[in-house]
Amino acid sequence: MTDQTLDLAPKAGAEREEVVEIGGGPAFWAVFKREFRQYFRSPIAYGVAFALFLFTGIYFNAYVTGANGQAPANATLIPAVITFLLFLFAPLLTMRLIAEETREGTLEVLMTLPMNEAQFVIGKFLAVWAYYTILILVSLIYLVILSLIGTPDLGAAAGAYFGAWLYGGAALAITMIFSALTEDQIVAAFLGAATILVMFLADSAAAAIPSNAPWLVDIVRELGLTAHYDSTMAAGILRGEDVLYFVFLMVLSIFITTLIISIRRWRG
Amino acid sequence: MIEVEHLTKRYGGFTAVNDISFSTGAGVTGFLGPNGAGKTTTMRMLTGYLPPTSGKASVAGFDVFNDSLQVRKRVGYLPESVPLYRDMSALAYLMYIAEIRGVKNRRDRALHVLGRVGLQDRADSLIRTLSKGMRQRVGLASTLLHDPDVLILDEPTIGLDPRQVLELRDLVRELGQRHTVLFSTHILSEAEQVCQNVVIINRGEIIAQGSPSALRGELERGGRVFARADVAAETLLPTVREIDGIIEVEISTDGVIATPATPEIDPRPAIARAIIGQGWNLLELRPQAVNLEEIFLELTRHEAQGAADEEAEAHEYDDDDENDEEVSA
Repeated sequence: MTDQTLDLAPKAGAEREEVVEIGGGPAFWAVFKREFRQYFRSPIAYGVAFALFLFTGIYFNAYVTGANGQAPANATLIPAVITFLLFLFAPLLTMRLIAEETREGTLEVLMTLPMNEAQFVIGKFLAVWAYYTILILVSLIYLVILSLIGTPDLGAAAGAYFGAWLYGGAALAITMIFSALTEDQIVAAFLGAATILVMFLADSAAAAIPSNAPWLVDIVRELGLTAHYDSTMAAGILRGEDVLYFVFLMVLSIFITTLIISIRRWRG
Repeated sequence: MIEVEHLTKRYGGFTAVNDISFSTGAGVTGFLGPNGAGKTTTMRMLTGYLPPTSGKASVAGFDVFNDSLQVRKRVGYLPESVPLYRDMSALAYLMYIAEIRGVKNRRDRALHVLGRVGLQDRADSLIRTLSKGMRQRVGLASTLLHDPDVLILDEPTIGLDPRQVLELRDLVRELGQRHTVLFSTHILSEAEQVCQNVVIINRGEIIAQGSPSALRGELERGGRVFARADVAAETLLPTVREIDGIIEVEISTDGVIATPATPEIDPRPAIARAIIGQGWNLLELRPQAVNLEEIFLELTRHEAQGAADEEAEAHEYDDDDENDEEVSA
């Protein structure tokens, strides 16, 4: 008698397991979490971090030694150097982001789940931007050192670091486009680096344009990255139009990446 | 559960799928055809991955193009290449897919489906350390997470060793009792064992559909028989041809296959008498067994030049390259 009653219990448990409870978080959050964790297991991400801090460290050391206690503590130097280096390490951080999923075929699985391309791209972008944010936060160590040996302008530093954060977001979003465009990570990195470099040099290119076309000079200058950072944010001047410029670049790049994934899928 | 009406997919000038229509009910439906026939393209359209050029299809009551999201919620799809993240554990991968699917009880579901494919003890193994057969099962498990109405499996037995193939077939058969399964293969005997229904596609067009037994019956009505004597098939052929009521004779390896004028005629007694009458010894005389393989060859004989190649490819555990399908993709 008792044996029979006991037999029923595990059955009830097994039935319960079949139930699927739907209604978790948004899909982009799942993509973000996986991708963000991925950066802490990726040798390239560690390589980028190592190279970045080696270079900024040497630069910072040279600056402090050269200043020799005479020059004012320049708090905007390091974020400016980071924005310059972005043409190298933004493509390295984003090259595998989408190219790898395309090549491995996992994109096909993801695109048949109840998730649209935009959620996928946003999750991916936020992950790399979050990793970059950590790099920026770590680089605040230079500001701490400066504060110990001098009196840096903290207002200017806040503008410069905030600007470097936005600048990085834009550079990462732009280089992400190339990861969607090609399955080849090297090609994606190369095209991304070239694009960021061109946008970085737009300022210098504008200077070379004959001055009888001032409107062209302005357009080229304003399209480039430097005009919105070097003379404004890096000097501690926060302008709404510069913030908008970087945010616009991010939104546009996410949109273009989404479009490329859709078109590539639709063309089969 | 799956309704396809006049579905067409063109890539530039190439028509991968040409005006196909079929429908499937509960149980396992086999989607049969040689490589490059349009199986993968059709499945990609059914899962909402590829938009059709024209025509329409609905899965679980929803249009695959207009209600793609609803379809995706109700379908589990396993692509032929079984894409997985190699650096994740089986459990972590399943929980990731479950999270994107919005499943709340992710861990329970992931463990449950792992149990269902018999991999509960490998939950924490990295996917790259799993054998091909196990990966295939992880892929299959990932399609079960949300307990879908419809499963679409693209050549799930490809590249497995014979024992794994048998295990996977059993699993698919078992899943067919609970889910509607569309299962593509180019191995005919596999479809015969696993499927209640088959849809045969070749060069983007459906050439036959029905239950394996109905399709067999259709051809068996021909009443064809195989005869073998202790003389060369070439010698035997004219003798059999002269028998009344036999309209066609062809050589098949070391004997002949004779087709009677009407299915009601059993030509065996006449053939036996003719052979004995010639003074030869009758070695074998039997109805020509018809399996899907032969039905398939029969149906594709007139159109496909490559039919002979397909015969080789239809060989059981042959998993050589699937690139034909990729060209169309």
